[in-house]
This record gives sequence, structure tokens and C-alpha cells, in this order.
Amino acid sequence: MIRRHSIIVAIVSLGLVFASLVIGYTEQQAARPLAESYIRLVPQELGAPNVITGILLTYRAFDTLGEIAVLFMVAASVGLVLGREGPPRGVPSEDRPGEARPSSEIVQTGTQILVPLISIFAAYIIMNGHLTAGGGFQGGAVIASGILLVLLAYPQYQPNLEFLGITESVAGALFVLAGIAGLIVADGFLDNRILPLGQFGAFFSAGAIPVLSALLGIKVGCELSVILERFRP
Amino acid sequence: MISRIVLTTGLLLVLIGLWGMLTHRNILRIIIGFSLMGTGTHIVIVAIGYVANGTAPIIDRALSVSEAISRAVDPVPSALAVTAIVIGMAVTAVMLAYAIRLYESKKTLSIDAFTESKW
Amino acid sequence: MVESLLHPLNIFIVGLAGGFLIPLFYRLGKSWTAAAFVLALAAMTVISGYGLFVLLNGTAPIEILTGGAKPPYAINLRMGLAESIFAFSVNLVALFGAAYVVRERYGTLLLYLLLVMGIQGMVMTRDLFNLFVFLEIVSIATYGLLGLRDTPASLSATFKFLMATVLASTFFLIGTLLLYAVTGILNIDELIAKRASITGPIGFAALIFLLACLLLELKPFPANGWGLDVYETARCDVAAMISGGVSAGVFFALLKLLPLFEDQLELIAGLGAMTFVFSNLIGLQQTNAQRLLGYSSIGQVGLLTIAVPLLYRLNADNAMFLVVGGLFINHLFAKVGLFWLAGYVGRERLQDWAVLARRPGAILTFGILIVAISGLPPFPGFWAKWQLVMSLAVGDLHVWIAIVLVGSLLEAAYMFRWFSLALNSPAEADGVPADLFPIFGMALLLVISGYIAGKLAGLAALWAYMPLAAGLVLHMLARLPSRMQCLIVLVLVTVGGSQLILELSGISLLFAMLLLAGGLVVSIACLARTDHRSGFYPLLAVMLLSLPALPRATTSLEFIFVWELITLSSYFLILRRTEAAAHALQYLLFSLAAAFFLLCAFAVLHTQTGSVSLSALRAAGPDSAPVFVLLAIGLLIKAGAIGVHVWLPGAYAEADDDVSALLSAVISKVSIYGLLVGTYVAIRSDVSLNLALVVGWIGMLTTLAGAMLAARQDDLKRMLAYSSMSQLGYIVAAIALMSHLGWVTALYLAANHLLVKGILFLVAAAIILRTGKRSIVELGGLAGVMPVTFTTAAIAIVAMSGLPPLAGFGGKWLLLSAMMEKGWYGPALMTLLATFVGFIYMARFIQAIFLGPRRATHDALTEAPIPLLTPQILLIAGIFLMSFFPKLLITPLSNAIDPQFASTLVWQGMSLEMIYGYWNPVPVMALAVIASTILFGLFWLLQQSGWWATIANVEIGGTRPSLYKGFRAVFTTLTPPWAGALWGGLTEATTTSAERIRILYTGNGQTYNLYILYYFLALYAAAGVRHLWVAVN
Repeated sequence: MIRRHSIIVAIVSLGLVFASLVIGYTEQQAARPLAESYIRLVPQELGAPNVITGILLTYRAFDTLGEIAVLFMVAASVGLVLGREGPPRGVPSEDRPGEARPSSEIVQTGTQILVPLISIFAAYIIMNGHLTAGGGFQGGAVIASGILLVLLAYPQYQPNLEFLGITESVAGALFVLAGIAGLIVADGFLDNRILPLGQFGAFFSAGAIPVLSALLGIKVGCELSVILERFRP
Repeated sequence: MISRIVLTTGLLLVLIGLWGMLTHRNILRIIIGFSLMGTGTHIVIVAIGYVANGTAPIIDRALSVSEAISRAVDPVPSALAVTAIVIGMAVTAVMLAYAIRLYESKKTLSIDAFTESKW
Repeated sequence: MVESLLHPLNIFIVGLAGGFLIPLFYRLGKSWTAAAFVLALAAMTVISGYGLFVLLNGTAPIEILTGGAKPPYAINLRMGLAESIFAFSVNLVALFGAAYVVRERYGTLLLYLLLVMGIQGMVMTRDLFNLFVFLEIVSIATYGLLGLRDTPASLSATFKFLMATVLASTFFLIGTLLLYAVTGILNIDELIAKRASITGPIGFAALIFLLACLLLELKPFPANGWGLDVYETARCDVAAMISGGVSAGVFFALLKLLPLFEDQLELIAGLGAMTFVFSNLIGLQQTNAQRLLGYSSIGQVGLLTIAVPLLYRLNADNAMFLVVGGLFINHLFAKVGLFWLAGYVGRERLQDWAVLARRPGAILTFGILIVAISGLPPFPGFWAKWQLVMSLAVGDLHVWIAIVLVGSLLEAAYMFRWFSLALNSPAEADGVPADLFPIFGMALLLVISGYIAGKLAGLAALWAYMPLAAGLVLHMLARLPSRMQCLIVLVLVTVGGSQLILELSGISLLFAMLLLAGGLVVSIACLARTDHRSGFYPLLAVMLLSLPALPRATTSLEFIFVWELITLSSYFLILRRTEAAAHALQYLLFSLAAAFFLLCAFAVLHTQTGSVSLSALRAAGPDSAPVFVLLAIGLLIKAGAIGVHVWLPGAYAEADDDVSALLSAVISKVSIYGLLVGTYVAIRSDVSLNLALVVGWIGMLTTLAGAMLAARQDDLKRMLAYSSMSQLGYIVAAIALMSHLGWVTALYLAANHLLVKGILFLVAAAIILRTGKRSIVELGGLAGVMPVTFTTAAIAIVAMSGLPPLAGFGGKWLLLSAMMEKGWYGPALMTLLATFVGFIYMARFIQAIFLGPRRATHDALTEAPIPLLTPQILLIAGIFLMSFFPKLLITPLSNAIDPQFASTLVWQGMSLEMIYGYWNPVPVMALAVIASTILFGLFWLLQQSGWWATIANVEIGGTRPSLYKGFRAVFTTLTPPWAGALWGGLTEATTTSAERIRILYTGNGQTYNLYILYYFLALYAAAGVRHLWVAVN
């Protein structure tokens, strides 16, 4: 009881702190100086219409690189924790739900129809990240949703973990390599201007951003798939 | 105005997540509490980036650069939100992995069962 | 080209690319993975080392730009000097630690690599959100590595850790975004520049959220149960990385953001203080090795959290560098080494560490790590603490100094207790000899960094390291036969010691000669033992050379440094006998407390005079009474004055017999030297006279109590130990006289005591060697079988008792004269009384051991061995010299004493003339004899009448009581064990409170999260109250 009261007191107090935030908050009437600079700089310097993607893949690409590392490490960590890296643990077969009961035909058929569509959609999101809403992360997540669907529909399906692992490693290394290219060819690490900026708004434009976006999408897709696979009983 | 509502929602979600995390004994529910808290935080991020009557900061025929400066929402919080979401997901994955191991070790998911080390 | 290859940006390129590629290398083969992994770590080390090298040569901080744009648009990082030190040291540790993980699966390797990179990212980044990303990289790598051990306990602990750190990092995210909402900035430099624009409820909350996260990640008391659990249950090398590496990253983040928290500096320091003191307090009750290290880790980080905001407030940039660098590096290397050692030992309970007892290499390393973690010389933590105390004193932050020192003392208590457990009761050494090499590496790094830090702190003199160098030489010769080693020590100390005292003059020279010669002569006795005394001779060399080095010290830093060397070497020498463990610990703690008082005194002196030179003591002004009080307290503790004498009998009595002789005869003079030096200051300050009288009374009470306690004792060595206490009391009183005559007396008495007690403890050694008995009542009649020993003992006793014609008489006489001269009639009376009590135990010593009936079993005993007799005879020669040619000593003494006591002293044969008056020794002598006779007779009458039996409530019974039994009853009544009860009670109270407080740690992860929430709320409230307070005023 004391415990519950102290939780209530804590939450209410925190609520009061939050209330002060809401009361003190004033809606922004115009872009902040930094935001304004980005809105000018991204189209002009990076040649990307989507300011957010420009920020993510050039100005704050170092963060993005860190994020990839985080996802990469999660895949490794989950592997370590669940002990799936080496040979599979000896789990009794009755503990494996789904092995006995395959999913219904409706799910399987739906999957067959949906997965190609999902893949195309993912590719679209990834490749148009610099032009419109989208990008590598979002597309990668969509890829993983397709894989999840496959895993649900075909419990016996074993994705080629080796292939996924090599792909994600290569994609990650290429991302770093693109960064190094920026050091040599352009103005600094992870500068996107290692490729010509092209015509503003065109598909092949904004320097290396589409390439980076693609690498990111592939890597995120692979990593999420690996994580999903590791969680399977 | 609208961003204030969003902000309030986000903060409330954080509180709800915390409440769940502190009151529920089941580890999975605790993890859900964390996820709620994380989502609340992401909503707060988005609210902070909002500019009155704003639109997406994508420059095209419909939105010129000069127009965007007065009308586009702040792109920085949006960019940060992407990163924050990925990290939140990563953390949730690790938590779930440990939840599985915890269940395997004691065949229970009650947080009260896992108090080996103390003092 | 080289420049660009060694640019710090490459740390991240190597880390990330290496991490991403490790799975590919894995396909090539296991050795490829390992090679790539080690290569990547080595590359990061080289790059950061090169950065450090370049920056030390005065280059501007290296900017790391990304995204092809300038900040604040793109993320930038920076490697300045501080960053490079943190990065380089973490890399070094990681490289050594690679030995433990390199054979693991590739997932572990990539997590480890990215963890190391992430820590450096936290150190170098200048973007707030990027800091969050690196924090998460570090956290997730930690979560993964924690999974390496999958016992139920460690899984539970990891989950608690996960919940707590995720909550904390959510605070960071919220704080970062709120800060952005207020300022529109993420770049840290810009945020600091525009600190003033962070206002309003959102700005305030933003800062508190950030601060809360950083503090929580440092595992503050009481919201740190989750951290302790992980330290306890994680695999040792992972725990080491969390304690050293991850804390380094988070701590550096706090350091970097500190300008933002300008309004909360005291609050941060206060929370750090709470963590430091309570962690170390609870650590006292800990029995699990890794959890103990956890408490210590948290405490050390707490200490850093105290130091940084306070020094920042004081604008002490130079001090900041040494303090933060020293404390951090000390903690990093020592704690990592200890965690690895815990992995090597593989025992949870502290008692089981006795498996180390038979492994000299491991014990040596363990000792180095323990000494380092306790902040003792010659390791970086010592210099850092020194600098910290000096700086805090300048800022008049005395309470903070007290907190730092109390916490340090608590930490030393459990650390050294642990060490003595490892030496205790050597169990079978059955552990698998795992890789000790990285742990040696840490010890070596500590030594190197300690030397560098010492230079930075201002100890440039190489001679101060001479004792340690001698110890090292002896350590390398440990294979030689025991006696050979002893001879080498004697030669080395003679040569080195004479080098040390070459340039000295005055009192310093006299004392240095006294300590050096006394140490050497008494050490001859060590030749009597031929058994292999592992570790004995290196320690002996360190100690014997430290003794003459003390008078060589010209700055307070050198003084404390050498002082601590003497303390440590004598502690380890006492500890060599396992029975002495508890007493050795007591000895160490009281000695450390004494040193801390000295440290405070020097800090105050430094504040007042702006100088660290010891000569500042002479230049002190009238307001330096506190300096004298602090010095006097410290030195009286070390001298074993009444009330704080509890450490003395045990340490003296339980040490090896030859060590006892050294302790009592020689080492005890160290405090006397300190007292002489320190008293200069008292002469200058205006309240000195009353204080001196207080010290004088303390001295005389010590003498009397010591004599009575000695008279009660049946244990041979304890009796001599209490006798030492008693004799030191005389010397203290003599110094407190603060007159020329008083000081001559003090030095004369000190020399006399050295000679006498050296002999008597060696006599005890001989008797114990021959009979195996320590109890006086089991001995008797040994004069017949050990005539030489009997003769030396008798001469020594006469010299000590103050009977003519030997030196003791001159000493007593001088003392009484000096007291009369000053008008100290009370103390003079006490002197007579104490002399009388002294007669009793000295008579008993001779009577019970050497005279009377001899036991049949003792008939076949032989004389003591030559190595034991030689020093005795040499010392007796000294006594005769002093007794019959007193001018030889008195004249240089008189000349050496500061000419400010404008008086002269002429010693003519057996009589003494002074310009103050004329004193004939005969009446004084007669008075002493008459007083003794009267007291003796009075007591005899009392006892005969049977009064005393009723008063003292002693059952004398039907038999005719011996005179001694009656005395004993009186002395027992007059010396109630108050001091023992006081200190025992204090210990009891400390451990009880530790036991109560640690109930906080319930082990429930959910509760811990509630603590975290409350921690944030408390922080918010405290900062808010301060904010309002400032606003109102």
C-alpha cells in the first residue's frame, strides 16, 4: 500500500513538472534560426528537396552512422543473449509452437500476394527518400515487415542468416567507405557531394544521398530481419 | 495551439508508461510501459518541432524555399525523432530478449522473482 | 599523410568499420577475427596516443568535422588534451582487456569494439544529440556484453540495469529536446555560450532532466542498487569495462556539460558527497568481492563528482587537470585491475581470497592496486587528493575536505581489510592460473602515471623515490638467501641513507642520522632469521630509507609523501604476521587519520601563506593556531597519545619481533620529528601557549597511563609497547614546553628511548626465540642461561628508568628542570608519579624474567644468537656514550635548535648550568627518590591495612598478597578501558548504520526505478528551491 501511494505521489509530482512544461510552452511562429539555415542549405548545398533526409544523411549522418551501429549491435546482442549465434540450443520440439501447426491458407496466399508489393513499396520509399517523405530507415522497416509476414506465414522458413549477415556487414562497411570518400573527394567525412548533385528534384540527384539511403535501407532491413529471426523460438 | 495538445498527449503518454512500468509486476507489461514512455517522448519531439500552420519541409513546386522558411515545420526534431525511434526499438528488442531469458531461468515473468542480489 | 592517418576521426572509422566487418572476417576464420579485433583496438590506441602526444606539445585542440559543413550545422567532435587523456587511457585498458575477450564469439568482439568506440564518442562529441546516440551505443553494447554470463542472478541484475539506464536515457532525450525547444541549439559549445538564454520552466526542466540522466548513469546513492547488482554479478572483465570505461564516458559528458549547470554546482557536489560517503560506509559491511568493488567504484566516481563542480566554482583550472586526471586514471587502472583480479581469483567471498596467499606475484599486484585505490602514494590518486585538498582549502571549503577525507578513510578500511584477508590463513592454491599479464599491465600503468602525476603535483625531487627504487631492487633479488638479502638491505640503506642526509643540517640532520643509524643497527637483528621471508626485505628497504628521507623533505608535499611511505611500509611489515592482521589495520587507519590531519594542517598553512614549503611553518602569522591544532592532533595520534593509543599495543606486540623493535625504537620517532617541526608554527601564533600546555598535559597523562598499563601487563611485548607509549609521552611533553631546554630534553629523551627500546624489544625477541613464551609469569631465572641478554636488559632498564648514572637520569633531570623553568608544576608532579610507576614495571620486567626460580624446561636454554646480541651491544655503546660524554649530543642539539630560543646550555660533567638559573642535580635526584619512597611506603601501608582491597574491590583472599598484585589492582582501576570502549563504540555505530542503510537495496528492479524517479524529483525540487531563493533575493 505504501508502495502504491509512493508511486502515485511520484507520478503526480512528475505530472506537475510536465504541467509546468505545457504551461511554459509557446508554439513556434516561424522556423528557428538553425532550422531556417537547414531549409536554405539542404536544397542549395546538398541538392535534396527533402530537408529531413538531407540532415539525416549529411549534416547529421554521423548520428545516422551511430544508429546503424546501434541496430547492428542489437542484432549481435540479441544473438548473444538468446544464444543463437552458434548451433541452435537443444529446445524440445514440443516447446516450439508453430512447428506442429502451419498457418492457414489465407495467410499464406495473402503473404504471397503482399510480399512482392511490400518489397516494391519499400524500394520506392528508400529510393525516393531525398525527394519526398521516406528514407532508408523507413524503407528498411517496411522490408522487415515483409520478412515478418513471411516468418508468420511459413514458420519453417529459415531465412539465409549468413546472406543477411554478410549483406548487412558489406552495406555498413560501404556506408563508412562512402564517408571516407567524402574525406578525400569532398569537404569532409560523410559529405554527400562525392557524386554530382544533378538536377534538383530528379531521381538521380542530391549526390550520394540516394546511395546512402539505399545502403541504409538494405542494412536496416537485414538487421531487423536478423533480429526477428533470432526471436523465433 | 495544436502542438500544445500534441505536447500534452506526449507527456501524458510518458506518465502512463511510467505508471504501467511501476505498478505492473509482469515483465512484459513493464516493457510495454517503457515502450509507451518512449512513444510519448517521440510525440513530444514532434510537438516541439511544430511551427504554427506548418507543413512538411520538402521543397518542391508546392513549397518554395522562401515559403518553407515561414511555413515548414522544424526539420531538426523530425530528424532526431527518426533516430530516437530506431534507438527505442533497439532497446525494446534487447529488453524482450532478456525477458525471454528471465522466463527460461525461472519460468515466471513476475519482476518480484528476480531479486537475487541485494544489499 | 601520417597526420591524416592518425587524425582522431579515424578512431570512429576504425571502430565502426571494424565492427561492421568483424562478421565478414569471421567467415574467413577465427584467427582473422581476433587479429582484426586486436588490430582495431591497437589502431585506436595509437591514434589517441598520437593525439595526446601532439596536444602535449601545445597544439590547439583537434577539431573533427563531419558532413562537410561547419558546426552548428553538422556534428563536430573535438579532441583536446583532456579528451585525449581519457581516450588514450580507456583505449589502453581496452587493449589489455582484449586478452580476456579475444577468444570469445565474434558478436562479443564487435560489441566490445563498438563499446570502446562509443565511450570515446561520448568523450569527444560536441553535439548534444550525438552524445545521446553515443550513450545508447555504449548502453546497448553493455547490455549485450552483460549477457555473457547467464546465471539467474546475473540475468536479473542485467534486467534491472536495463530498466534503470533506459529510464535515465529517456531523461536525457527529453532534456535534449526541451533544450532545443528553448534555444534551437544542439551544439554544446553554442549552448554553453548562450547559457543565459536557457530560462523559463522548460529551460529549467531541460537542464534538470539532462543532469539527472548524467548523475544517474554515474550510479548515485541511493538510486544505484541496479548498478551494484550488475557489478556483483557481471563477468569480471565486463564489470571492469562498466566501472572504468563507461563511467569515464558518462563522467566526461558531465564534465563537458558542467558550464550549463552553473546554478547547480553545489547540488552536484553534495550529491557526489552523499554517494562517496555512503557507498564507502556500506562497503564496510560487504563480503562479496565484486560487490565490494562496485561500492568502491561508485564511491570513486562520487569523489570525482565532488571535486569537479567545486573546482569549477573556484576557477581552479590547473588543479582541475591534476585532480580529475589523477583521480580518473587512478580509478580506471586500479579498479579495472581489481575487477580482473577478481576474475583471476574466481572467488566471491572475501575470505576465500586467501588462495592468493601463496602467489607472491599476484599478492604484489593486489597490494599495488589496493594502495592505489586508497589514494596513497606513489599512485596518481594520492597526488590528486593532495591537490584537491589544497585547492578546497584555498576556497575555504573545509566541510568538503572533511567529507573527502572521511570517505577516503572508510574506503581504505575495507580495502585493506580485504587485503589482509588475502594474506590470511593460506589455503591451498588451487585456482587455475589464468592470465595475470593484463593485471600486471594495470599495476605498471599505475606506477608510470603515478610518477607523472607526482611531477605535475610538484614533487620533482628524485630522492623521494629512492626508497621505492631500493624496494624494487630488493624485490628483484628475492631469490637470494635470506641473510644475503638482509646484508644487501643494510649496505643499500647505508649508502642511500648517507646520500639522503648529505645536504642536511641542524635538527633535520640530527634526526636523519638518528633514524638512519637506529634503523640500521636494529635491523641487524633481522640476520637472526634464516627462513625465507617473502616480501620482507623490499619492505624493510623502503622503510629504512624512508626514515632518513623524512627530514630531507622541504615541502609539505614531500613530507606527506615520505610520511605515507613510512606508514605503508611499516603497515605491510606488521601485516606479515597473520595474527597481526586486525592490529595492522588499526595501525594503518589511525596512521592514515593522522596523515589526513597533517594534510589539512598543510592545506590551511598553504592558504594562509601561499606556500607549500615547510619553512612556511616558521613564517606563519598569529592566525595559524588552527594549523598547530591540526598538526598536533595528527602527530599525537601517530605518537599514540592517551585516548588515541588504542592502535599502539596491538601493532607493536603482534608484529614480528624484529619489526616490533623497529616500530618502537625508530618509527615512533617519526611523529616526534613531525611534532618538533610543527611546533615552530605554534611559537608564532598567539594562542600557542595555552595549546602547548594542553599538549603538555596530554603528554604527561599519556606517560602516566602508559606506565600503569605497562605495569598491568603480563605479555612481554605488550608491556614494552605500553612502556613505549609512556616514554613518548615524556617526549611530547618536553616538546610542548617550547623552550630551548625543553627541546634539548625532547631530543635527548628521543635518542635515549631509541637506544633503550631497541635493546628491550630485541631482548624480548631473544627470549621469545629461545623459550617460545611471551607471558612474563611463565618465565623466570633466565639470567643464569642468558647472561648477556640479562646484562643488556638490565643496563637498558637502568637507562630508561632514570636512575643515575645512565642517560635516562640526565633526561629526566633535564625534563624536570625545563618544567620548573616554565612553571609547569602539575606536569612536573606527574613526571615524578610516572617515574615511580615506571620503576614498578621495570623492576618486574627484570625480576620476573631474569631473576627468581627458573623452570626446569628452561635450564637447557642457550644465549641469544649473535645477530640479536650485536645490535644490543651497539645500542649499549650508544647509551654509554650518551651517558658519559653528554656533550657529544647536547652541544650539537643545542646548536641545531632554532636560535629563536635565545639561551645557551652548558653541560659540565654531571651538572648543568643555564643562564636562567642554577640547578643542582642532587636535590632533584633526592626529591625523586624521596617521592618514590613516600609513595611506595604509603601504598604498602594502604595495602597492609586492607583499605585498598575494599576500595578497589579486589579479592585478595586469605593468602598474603604480593605487593605487585596490589599495584596491579590499583592500576586496573585507574586505567578504565574508556578509549577502547570509545573506538569500539564508534566502529560498532559505523557498521550498524551501514547495515541499516543498505536495507535500501531491496533487490527489486521496479523499486529501483521508483528510486530513480524520486531522485529526479528531489533534484528538481532542490534545484527549484535554489532557483526561487536566488530569484527572491
